[in-house]
Amino acid sequence: MSVLDANFRRELEVHRYPMLVYALVPLAALVLQAWLPRVLGRYAWFDLPVVITVYFALGRPTPIQGTIMGAAMGIFEDALSHHAIGINGVAKTVVGFLAASVGTRIDVENHTIRLILNFILSLVSGAMYVFVYRILLGLDLEWTWFTELFKAIGNSVIAVVLFPALDRLQIRD
Amino acid sequence: MESFFGRYRDLVVLLAILLAQVIGLAVQVRHTAGGQNSFDPQDESGVRLIRLWANSIVSPPERLIHGAKLGSGSLWLDYLDLRHVRQQNQDLQKTIDRLRLEQAALLEDARQGQRLQALVAFQQKYIYKTVAAQAIGSSGSDQSRVFYIDKGANYKLARDMAVITPDGIVGKIRDVFPNSAQVLAIDDQTSGAGVILETTRTRGILRGNALGQPQIVGILADNRIQPGEKVLTAGGDLIFPRGLPVGVVEKVARDPERENFIDVIVKPAAHLDRLDEVLVITATAPSFSSQQQQDLTDSESLMGAEAAAIKEQKKASEIMAERLPGLKDPNAPVVNPAANPGSAQPGQNPPPPPIPELGQPKMLHPQHPDRFTPGTAAEIPTDTSAAPTPDAPDAKPDPKQANPQQSPPRRNP
Repeated sequence: MSVLDANFRRELEVHRYPMLVYALVPLAALVLQAWLPRVLGRYAWFDLPVVITVYFALGRPTPIQGTIMGAAMGIFEDALSHHAIGINGVAKTVVGFLAASVGTRIDVENHTIRLILNFILSLVSGAMYVFVYRILLGLDLEWTWFTELFKAIGNSVIAVVLFPALDRLQIRD
Repeated sequence: MESFFGRYRDLVVLLAILLAQVIGLAVQVRHTAGGQNSFDPQDESGVRLIRLWANSIVSPPERLIHGAKLGSGSLWLDYLDLRHVRQQNQDLQKTIDRLRLEQAALLEDARQGQRLQALVAFQQKYIYKTVAAQAIGSSGSDQSRVFYIDKGANYKLARDMAVITPDGIVGKIRDVFPNSAQVLAIDDQTSGAGVILETTRTRGILRGNALGQPQIVGILADNRIQPGEKVLTAGGDLIFPRGLPVGVVEKVARDPERENFIDVIVKPAAHLDRLDEVLVITATAPSFSSQQQQDLTDSESLMGAEAAAIKEQKKASEIMAERLPGLKDPNAPVVNPAANPGSAQPGQNPPPPPIPELGQPKMLHPQHPDRFTPGTAAEIPTDTSAAPTPDAPDAKPDPKQANPQQSPPRRNP
């Protein structure tokens, strides 16, 4: 099974996209994340910036790009909230780094792997958010674990649908 | 050294980015006097700049999407689905006419109330000027329940202005950008609004919980607080005017952290999840628009005409009363009960004091007197208390007393 064949992935499965995709897809994710909750109300159980961070981090050969992308997406999300800038930034930086690190070691073309990865990394993102908010900053925050669970499930479902669509935008040799 | 960075380059970059963000976070958090940490309510210039950039990037697409949504909806509603519109227009026009008259009367009452409140130096705020705005986006995070509206500093919006809907309060403006503003909703954990329960008059602070439900915290356990009770703004927070609807009590739960305290979960009156149009209260100083002034003038003129008609009617009745023959003999001797105390029956009220003759109209002597003519001694009743007086022209004589033959016999004690 080629799931853990890291060298194979490093050589052959580096995803490349037009620059426009790198610019517009994260922007679209941020805009939709800001707009859809106005439509869906409290049933907006997803975090599109996490999904996009995981997607682009998985396809890159080094964790640095995933780390930077996660940091940028997180800081952007923080800027739209009324919280301190950096809480989501730290959480998604870690997610981007982990996704890129894992992506160099396993076969991320498998839908089941993608679904599980998104589920786990979404939970990691939520846990990092709570850790930074409550432990690092010492602020009061009420949170419910099942909201994070629903969000992780929502991210996984979106990833299963969205990743193949984004794969079509790759630059093929 | 070079090989160290080359070998651990990924980790070094990760740690550098994390460290930079942690330092940035430390700058933005303040340690309060109460021993708790909190966000700096006023963003520093660098942080504000980042927020401004993010808002500038996200707002235009959000406006586009929101406009497209409104446009597609209005295409159907404004051009296709027009059945019964003419009849509805007529009904609405009648309703407007009626409401304008009612509003004029209410404005008069409001103005009178303000005068009275000014007298007692009661600082009550009234909503007199609002700006309508559309909700175009949100933070995207359920931990940060803020949303953005499409009006900003260009419409003279400012921080801490109250945001409401006709149903109830929504939140307050937290940050203002040139063409948009960030509104902190009342269901956010960091929000705070002074509220009062309508029936029990219990005051508390409203803020959101983890599930996004507004709840009143810090209330001592009280069995009188029951689901369904209305919650209104208390006006003490200097943001929301007093008496605006907030919602109704949904349930009462024990405070998990403090004994003998309860949390009152409130079902908000405004639909916080589905906000489209909101109103920002931009002025609370008493002032009336030109239309309201016109309505007030109309009201006063209407009220003046009505009062003049009533006065004219009263005057006519007085004239008629004067022209009718009186049953009191102006020439009869005045009975002074004080001079004859034994005339009053025991157990009965003393007769009314005599009417002073000064100021009584003098009646002309009739040319052809008959038995009904005042002044005929045989027909004058002995009791003068029922005679109409100039002070009470509408008073009618008691028929029993006017005809003493039909009155029941008195018993002597």
